[in-house]
Amino acid sequence: MEGMFYSTQNVWTWWIAIYLFLGGLGAAAVVVSCLTNMYIKTHKELVLWGNISAFVMLSVGSLFLFVHLLDHLAVIHVLNPFGLLTKPDAWIMWGTQFIVWMMVFSMIYTLPYMLETPFWRDMPLVGTILGWFGWLGKLSLSFHKVVGWLAIINGVGTVLYTGLLLQSFPAVALWHNPGVPLLFIISAFSTAMAFLLLVLHLAIKREEDHDIKVLYERTDVILISIELLIIFVFFHFTTYGLESARHTADILWNDMGWIVGFIGFGLIVPFLIEFRGVTKGWNSATPVVLAAILVLCGGYLLRHYFMYAGSYERPYPAINSIHSQSNYNLLIE
Amino acid sequence: MANKHYAMVIDLNTCVGCNACMAACAMENQTPVWKNSWRTYVHDLEIDPGTDHQVRRRFFPRLCNHCDNPPCMSVCPTGATHKLDNGIVLVDDELCMGCRACSMACPYDARFDVSYNDVEQGKEFYGELHHRTRPGVDKCSFCAHRVMKGLKPACVETCVGSARLFGDLNDPDDKVAKLVKTGVAKPLMAHLGTRPNVYYISEIERAR
Repeated sequence: MEGMFYSTQNVWTWWIAIYLFLGGLGAAAVVVSCLTNMYIKTHKELVLWGNISAFVMLSVGSLFLFVHLLDHLAVIHVLNPFGLLTKPDAWIMWGTQFIVWMMVFSMIYTLPYMLETPFWRDMPLVGTILGWFGWLGKLSLSFHKVVGWLAIINGVGTVLYTGLLLQSFPAVALWHNPGVPLLFIISAFSTAMAFLLLVLHLAIKREEDHDIKVLYERTDVILISIELLIIFVFFHFTTYGLESARHTADILWNDMGWIVGFIGFGLIVPFLIEFRGVTKGWNSATPVVLAAILVLCGGYLLRHYFMYAGSYERPYPAINSIHSQSNYNLLIE
Repeated sequence: MANKHYAMVIDLNTCVGCNACMAACAMENQTPVWKNSWRTYVHDLEIDPGTDHQVRRRFFPRLCNHCDNPPCMSVCPTGATHKLDNGIVLVDDELCMGCRACSMACPYDARFDVSYNDVEQGKEFYGELHHRTRPGVDKCSFCAHRVMKGLKPACVETCVGSARLFGDLNDPDDKVAKLVKTGVAKPLMAHLGTRPNVYYISEIERAR
């Protein structure tokens, strides 16, 4: 619009994209591995790999957020669960609680399996710590399904949070719409399927897991096709929508990283590989592994571009610290 | 008696772009001016030259809009950003962890970072009177500390063109309330649903 200025932000950038990516992927991996173990097939190795990897992912992602805080000591206010009583409207508050409790319950769920696995029991330091929590492992086994569901509920909350966080910023058309949480949920579960397929093919490598692999591949094909449909909806929304959305469209739909990198190699190519896999099958695991790696790369790229392409519209240019002057210059050229 | 509901009206026709408001605000609130961060900022804009090809300038002061539905407050995870009964939106430095969700949520570019380094630099720049002890995100407070003493915000008091008016929307005799009620003064980007309390009188409205 004439007389208006458009800018993107340069504070919540690649590191928050990593936070959202690892948060969504890790939480969805917990949900899928726990549900598989409880209702499809008892699978100790899958739970160990899924939940311990998720713990590492969430720790790394949260570390990125923590490092970028302006006042690190004040983080104590969001770690306090009673904060939900005073700030039930803030998604970072919910997200922090979901992440913390998901990590706690998923590790308690995994604890009995760790205690009976020599690799973990004999590991220096970890083995010692496990020894202290033998009682908790027994208790966890007595209430295993309840603990599993507590991990799942907090995992779903974490996945949901990664999308609702962006939706709560009303100034940016790309973020403030109901499509964002849906897209991020679908993407998180798609990347979790991809990650667990990698685990099953490269780490666990058991013939009897064929049925789980097929189930995950089929589910991933469906999730990727839904993601493609949602991306098309976003194409329509940004191209024919509000002026700030059109500026986002200018950024996204003129960027080869988004079109070729994310949509091409992050969605369409793995969709075709996995579709061929579930309809006709592959002679080796290589194509499925390749597709899974591409899905994971696409999952990060989606969040990366979403952070960089959100466009603010104002009757004056941006000057404050969250905005990038170079991006602003690019937009007005 | 109804609570006060503070608001500001800015007349774009009488702002002369002297930037005295920026200086007064910076001194009053000790903002990190060394990195070009301001609670209020006067933009010097060249506007559409039209058919006569004469470039026109417009000085456009901006600040926190102290919204009635502030997105910066709802996203704030610690409760640092809060709203007083009189409509003023404040940030509690002791609670703010500086996640900058508020900066992302603000449609008006009203917020800026104060880092550990800025706190240290502030001690050198403003001397022993420097009051900020913690880093975090900062923004205009409508000079709440002055308003509570019955004074006007520093930017309003110093404005040579009387471009800035500060008043109570709940007082029907207040000039600000009258300007807002008649529709001459309008808020920015009202379509976002933030219900801002800073209103602008544009050239077009004045001509009418």
